[in-house]
Amino acid sequence: MKKLLSTTILSATFAVGMLAAAPAFAEDVLHIPNLSYRTGPFAGTGIPLMNGQRDYMTMLNERDGGVNGVKLSYEECETGYNTEKGVECYEKTKGEGIVTQPWSTGITLQVLPKSNVDKRAILAPGYGFSPMADGKTFQWAFNPPSSYWDGAQMLLSYVSGGNLDSLKGKKIALIHLDHPYGKEPIPLLEALAAKHGFTFMAIPVGLKEMQNQSAQWLQIRRENPDFVFMWGWGAMNAGAVNEAVKTKFPMEKFLGIWWSGHDGDMASAGAAAKGYRAISWNVPVNDAPVMADIKNYVADAGKSDTPADQAGWVFYQRGIAISMFLVEAVKAAQANFNTKTVDAEQVRWGLENLKIDEAKLKELGMGGMVVPFQTSCSNHTGHGGAWIIEWDGAKFNKVSDQLQADRAAIEPLEAAKAKEYADANAPWPMQECK
Amino acid sequence: MLYRTAGQFKTSYAADHALFPVRQDAWLLGVIMVLAWVVFPLAASDFTFQALLIPVLIYSLAALGLNILTGYAGQLSLGTGAFMGVGAYACYKIMTIFPGLNLAVAIGLSGFFSAAVGVAFGLPSLRIKGFYLAIATLAAQFFLVWLFEKWSWLYNDSASGAIQVPNLSMFGLGVAGPTATSITQYYFVLAVVSLVTIAAINITRGRIGRMWKAVRDMDIAAELVGINLMKAKLSAFAVSSYIVGVAGALFVFLWRGAAEPNLFDIPLSFRVLFIAIIGGLGSVLGNYLGAILIVALPVILNIVPEALGIPVSSSVVEHLNVMTIGGLIIMFLIVEPHGLARFWAMIREKMIIWPFPH
Repeated sequence: MKKLLSTTILSATFAVGMLAAAPAFAEDVLHIPNLSYRTGPFAGTGIPLMNGQRDYMTMLNERDGGVNGVKLSYEECETGYNTEKGVECYEKTKGEGIVTQPWSTGITLQVLPKSNVDKRAILAPGYGFSPMADGKTFQWAFNPPSSYWDGAQMLLSYVSGGNLDSLKGKKIALIHLDHPYGKEPIPLLEALAAKHGFTFMAIPVGLKEMQNQSAQWLQIRRENPDFVFMWGWGAMNAGAVNEAVKTKFPMEKFLGIWWSGHDGDMASAGAAAKGYRAISWNVPVNDAPVMADIKNYVADAGKSDTPADQAGWVFYQRGIAISMFLVEAVKAAQANFNTKTVDAEQVRWGLENLKIDEAKLKELGMGGMVVPFQTSCSNHTGHGGAWIIEWDGAKFNKVSDQLQADRAAIEPLEAAKAKEYADANAPWPMQECK
Repeated sequence: MLYRTAGQFKTSYAADHALFPVRQDAWLLGVIMVLAWVVFPLAASDFTFQALLIPVLIYSLAALGLNILTGYAGQLSLGTGAFMGVGAYACYKIMTIFPGLNLAVAIGLSGFFSAAVGVAFGLPSLRIKGFYLAIATLAAQFFLVWLFEKWSWLYNDSASGAIQVPNLSMFGLGVAGPTATSITQYYFVLAVVSLVTIAAINITRGRIGRMWKAVRDMDIAAELVGINLMKAKLSAFAVSSYIVGVAGALFVFLWRGAAEPNLFDIPLSFRVLFIAIIGGLGSVLGNYLGAILIVALPVILNIVPEALGIPVSSSVVEHLNVMTIGGLIIMFLIVEPHGLARFWAMIREKMIIWPFPH
């Protein structure tokens, strides 16, 4: 009897489930998967980004009914920043999804070679492998609006006042996560150090030491570098800032990459970390029309997970910007191929012909929120540059004009590394660009 | 009824000691073989191959390696993840130094590297046992992962510090790298796992296996009856690490496609240890059952709500998943502390005497 009962319940659940699932196929939708991480050691940084991404998509669905009449179905697949789950999610979402958003340099490295075979673009805004900028080699990968190498070069040019030769004889330390992501800027910094005559030292922080960096900061105190750059993520950012405060390291010498400029990470150090700066390709603009729309259509309607006080966070608004890149690519593809339901290959074309200029940003109600950039067949990053933001004890403020990376200094290395990658993965398909 | 043994007479000692004393066992295995070799590959999608079938096989193999050491020879080890890493890095170096080499040969060779490292870290087992030995293998775990990070020769000085699997083919068929199809990879893994399993069954049922079991049950008594402890323990470390190393090479080359050093960190060791313990120490079958529970079940649970059309966010599912799996592990261990293999043995026993329980 008991068995019969449970069988009945089970089959009833199935039947109800099937009924509920059926209507979902009725209208045109674009499936936008995201390999999110709202769990695990990096959830603190992941959640605001994913919330921003989702809220922008929800806002478009609510306000405009999607993009040109096609609803956007934003679907998260939880990875917990775990590369193993990354494979699972990639395989799961590759059927219907029109793009891959891997959200981890480790997962990007795994899926990058597969993108050629599965014909689906990887969108890795501001992360991933810097040589992905070379669109001829990395046909299916995009990392707009600035790569890590752009970021490293801009940081150097910012601290040197625009002239890298003035760094001669100075010492620059990089405190980085000992992980593919954190090691990303090292080849460029080493090359520039040799060229301009400054000393460069890399100080790795292991994944297990993220919250206890006393050894690393002892080394920094001993070496007394002129500047410390940080490539940190998750718990490492807060750990580094707190340790810098504790060792009384002058904040004006401490600058981070865009993933190290997170309000949530700074909160624990608070006012003591005043003066910490980070480079960022987006800045929060709380009175932007798009923010008002998100408030109206999403937050006030109870469809957002973001607490009201976090809507001004750099990372939340970066999530919005990232969704905007993708939606603009979809729009470009829709216009070019004259179809509403674009497929993965058409979205790739859209990402390659993305033109986000000042006028466009104004039109979207996002003026000043993100650097303008334009991608092309051979340029998959766009190299829009970035701003410097400074922590005032409670929030980040923009403190510089828009910086631009000196591309001439980066391109040779980029081309060499892209070629190295293609050779190691031969046969690697290349793309012809006009 | 289902497992009727009536009429199956044993007329010789050989028949009594056969691998399948009951005919139905052989039939059952036959059915599973048909499923694994014919039905699954024909029916599976890329997702099923990549998220379920291939990882289950590879994790089973790693657990089998550990089980030989811990389950058969009684030497506790927490360094499985690192030994898998040795296999993976060895295979990567072999394949980049000799690019034309057959991948199967490279994987076979890479096992010897991890066997050598395993024996080296197994030396303390001659003096210490139990928890003390576990700490010694833990040292291997930390040391080797540190080495994978710092010794840039191992990853050919790549800037990211990660190893990437190039496109490799055997007899004109892509087996590793992005262009390889899932079905080829599956058959490759299945073939290796089947071969190693057959070898493991034979070793553990034979002279060496009995020697290990004697050492496990009481090493002083074993020594008194003339078993060379050094030989027994070190051979267990060698065979176990060889299998674990092969599993590690498969893990990266036939499944992940890329790996960074911290992949081989202690969570991987624990995962394999869980599979071996929950599956059942001292059994071969247990590794497969354990891998299905620990590796495949979370993936299946993840797609259930979506398949039923229940709108739950992916992160909530993930949390529920962790809770469910944790609950199941505790439940299974309470119901049957000796693991799933013993659980199956009990079910089988019940089926033989059904419908007349004593």
